[in-house]
Amino acid sequence: MSKSDAFLQAGKTAVLQNIHGTMQFLQRFPPFNQMENTHLAFLVEQCQLRFYGPGESIIRPTDGPVDHFYIVKQGRVVGERTHVGREDAETTFEITAGECFPLAALLGERATRTEHLAAEDTFCLQLNKPAFIKLFALSDEFRDFALRGVSSLLDKVNQQVQRKAVETLGTQYSLNTRLGELAMRHPVTCLPDTALREAVRLMHEQQVGSIVVVDGHKAPLGIFTLRDLRQVVASGIQDFAQTIDLYMTPGPFYLSPDHSAFDAAIAMTERHIAHVCLVKDQRLCGVVSERDLFSLQRVDLVHLARTIRHAPRLENLISLRGEIGQLVERMLAHGASSTQITHIITQLNDHTVCRVIELVLADRGDPGVPFSWLCFGSEGRREQTLHTDQDNGILFEARDATQAAEIRQRLLPIAQQINHHLAACGFTLCKGNVMAGNPELCLSRAEWARRFAAFIREATPENLLASSIYFDLRVVWGDEQGCQQLRRGILEQVADNRLFQRMMAANALRHSPPVGRFREFVLERKGSDKATLDLKVQGLTPFVDGARLLALAHGVEANNTLERLRQLVTQEVIEALDGAAYEEAYHFIQQTRMQQHQLQTRENRPYSNRVDPDSLNQLDRRILREALRQAQRLQSSLALRYQL
Amino acid sequence: MSLLSWLLPRKKPVLSPEQQQRVLQLPAPPGLSEASLRQQRWVVVDLETSGLNLNRDQVLSIGAMVIEDGAIDLGQAFERTLLRPDNTLNPSVLLHGLSPEAIAAGSDPVDALLDFMAFVGDSPLLAFHAPFDQHMLGRALKDSLGYRLQHPFLDVAALAPMLCPQVNPREAGLDHWIRHFNLQVEDRHNASADALVTAELALILFSRARTQQIDSPLALQQRLNQWQRRKQAHSF
Repeated sequence: MSKSDAFLQAGKTAVLQNIHGTMQFLQRFPPFNQMENTHLAFLVEQCQLRFYGPGESIIRPTDGPVDHFYIVKQGRVVGERTHVGREDAETTFEITAGECFPLAALLGERATRTEHLAAEDTFCLQLNKPAFIKLFALSDEFRDFALRGVSSLLDKVNQQVQRKAVETLGTQYSLNTRLGELAMRHPVTCLPDTALREAVRLMHEQQVGSIVVVDGHKAPLGIFTLRDLRQVVASGIQDFAQTIDLYMTPGPFYLSPDHSAFDAAIAMTERHIAHVCLVKDQRLCGVVSERDLFSLQRVDLVHLARTIRHAPRLENLISLRGEIGQLVERMLAHGASSTQITHIITQLNDHTVCRVIELVLADRGDPGVPFSWLCFGSEGRREQTLHTDQDNGILFEARDATQAAEIRQRLLPIAQQINHHLAACGFTLCKGNVMAGNPELCLSRAEWARRFAAFIREATPENLLASSIYFDLRVVWGDEQGCQQLRRGILEQVADNRLFQRMMAANALRHSPPVGRFREFVLERKGSDKATLDLKVQGLTPFVDGARLLALAHGVEANNTLERLRQLVTQEVIEALDGAAYEEAYHFIQQTRMQQHQLQTRENRPYSNRVDPDSLNQLDRRILREALRQAQRLQSSLALRYQL
Repeated sequence: MSLLSWLLPRKKPVLSPEQQQRVLQLPAPPGLSEASLRQQRWVVVDLETSGLNLNRDQVLSIGAMVIEDGAIDLGQAFERTLLRPDNTLNPSVLLHGLSPEAIAAGSDPVDALLDFMAFVGDSPLLAFHAPFDQHMLGRALKDSLGYRLQHPFLDVAALAPMLCPQVNPREAGLDHWIRHFNLQVEDRHNASADALVTAELALILFSRARTQQIDSPLALQQRLNQWQRRKQAHSF
């Protein structure tokens, strides 16, 4: 070994000592904990460790295209964006140990849009751009992380949620699985002129419950299932030489192989079908049966929905309630997102409400007047969790006030019984009496319209609160037209009434998200809720209120908060980037809230929306803080828009 | 070795021609610069020794990090354990944690010291309790290479209380400052880990110095001399 080699060698071992220490530090955080050791060592060897004192600028928009990738080793970095026409800068994010910046600017080869400042004594690992690019090419984990930025962190959380839930269930299967991976790859098919006998023989031989009837180009024309066969046999047909196209269900429902297992489960629930064809480029490429979905994942959603819809008596519905709770637990385990779960709960609740109404009508006889069952609030927005109050009403058509009063008298006893039956099924009676059995909420279309107009005209605090409940209305049972007309009326009046919008905006700023400018969280200081924050009121409500206001003001008909945000982006009321950030943040807070509820149920604790951030793991806590900061941003954009 | 052996004239070190050549090639250090702190390359050194006796104890290992362009370059580092076959086990092994085996497996002190001085080049040095490291390194270089160490040293242990007067200076060990700035050390009393944390401390201190309008190595040295003189004056 020559001297210079020896020098190099000695240098290498020395490097390893401190590099090893830095690697150990990084390995506590994603994506570094998933990277190969050699890649991580490469990263660290190429790094410089820099120090920034409080208030010192790290990168700023005027520096030009970003040349370095930074990882916070210690301390805290804040992002500050200044708005045109405003003096003070807005803190848009906080970055703490283990987090990286500025990915978007670095990948976009542009300057940062936000000045990054050290909020306290801060050490950053600084990686030069050529090394970043090399690492990007070397490490898949690093590349994925860099490309997806914060979203990848959110995915990590979701995976973590799944892992945790899966542990209690001992199975690993995701509702997000592509149908293409689940389906029978060579579905049993036949041509439309195949004899019934021949088709049934094929099904029998292949041990399948369905056969897809296709044309010469493999495009599906119909489906014939065991259920159809039962009907054929029951109808007493003798001649099994007849062609199958006479007995198949034509125009079968289909999805693409890229749809998820969740999509298929929803379709089956909505349509009461047990088979979904998979079609790509107009050719049949698979069939997914209810059994394929549920034998694997044991999420018996379709079965549950069907049992609810056909429950013969109220007692059956009551006992099914517990199964919905178990279903939610299983769905979390199978990787369903909070959006999927609230969607499912809403759907099962809708089924329950419909069945209760049907049972009551069967019991008391038809009142002889058509009516629609309305729901408001979170139920109206399709954002229900398992713990839900009743917020409902009745809408009917009447010629005049006299007829309306007369119909009301006929409907009220029915409505009251429905309210009580729903309470028995676990829909808590509304403390504020926002229920159809209340004469003030069993109204004709004209009466509703007058009521809503008053809310908008006289923006008293009570009316503002009422509008935040009633304006998220939707029909659960009955004809939808009357409700449509009411909604259009609301939209027109709100769009015209700037004062009402402004009052609603002020109302939407009532609850400030619990993050401080320089502190992690601003928590309750006193009482039994000490050191906790309210995920619903302080986290979700700002998004719900903000989205409602902007939706009503811009003629967006959707009720669901995420749907409203998406349509507001399409209409360019809010920026696409902001919309995506709000959506992610809302989703995360909701997910955290549902996990808390599940945990409370499992530990037999009372249900609460309060959470102690210290009880969350580090990753969740960081993301929660960022999510709440997005709520804060939405509020300050409202304040700016309405000059509050 | 008799108790009085240190009084006897030292033996001249025996170097191979190649080693002699390397000694001659070592650059002479310039004085401290008036350019900005950021422009100066620094070597932050930490020595592990067989004990605290300035005259008898030996350098067992050298760890060093480089501060260049105002940042610690993790790709540039130096660590070497020196071969000391005559070093017997003594209580400080508990402190430096170098086992007799590790020391026995070390490099030839002559080569190790030559490598280190080549690594240092003409940069000034930083150390925590620098006078100790300066003395021990100087003696090792003299004994092993016949080389006179003339590189300027700045003492981080003195800079820290000068630049952070609000911090109670009564306990002024490295551990105190590590705790004060909440620094993370993976393996304390490993020469190169100690050098890294000393370098981190130095970065913080340079930042504090800049906010106090001290922006060159020379200015820093002068301010430190004034401060120490004043402190001595006060203590009388």
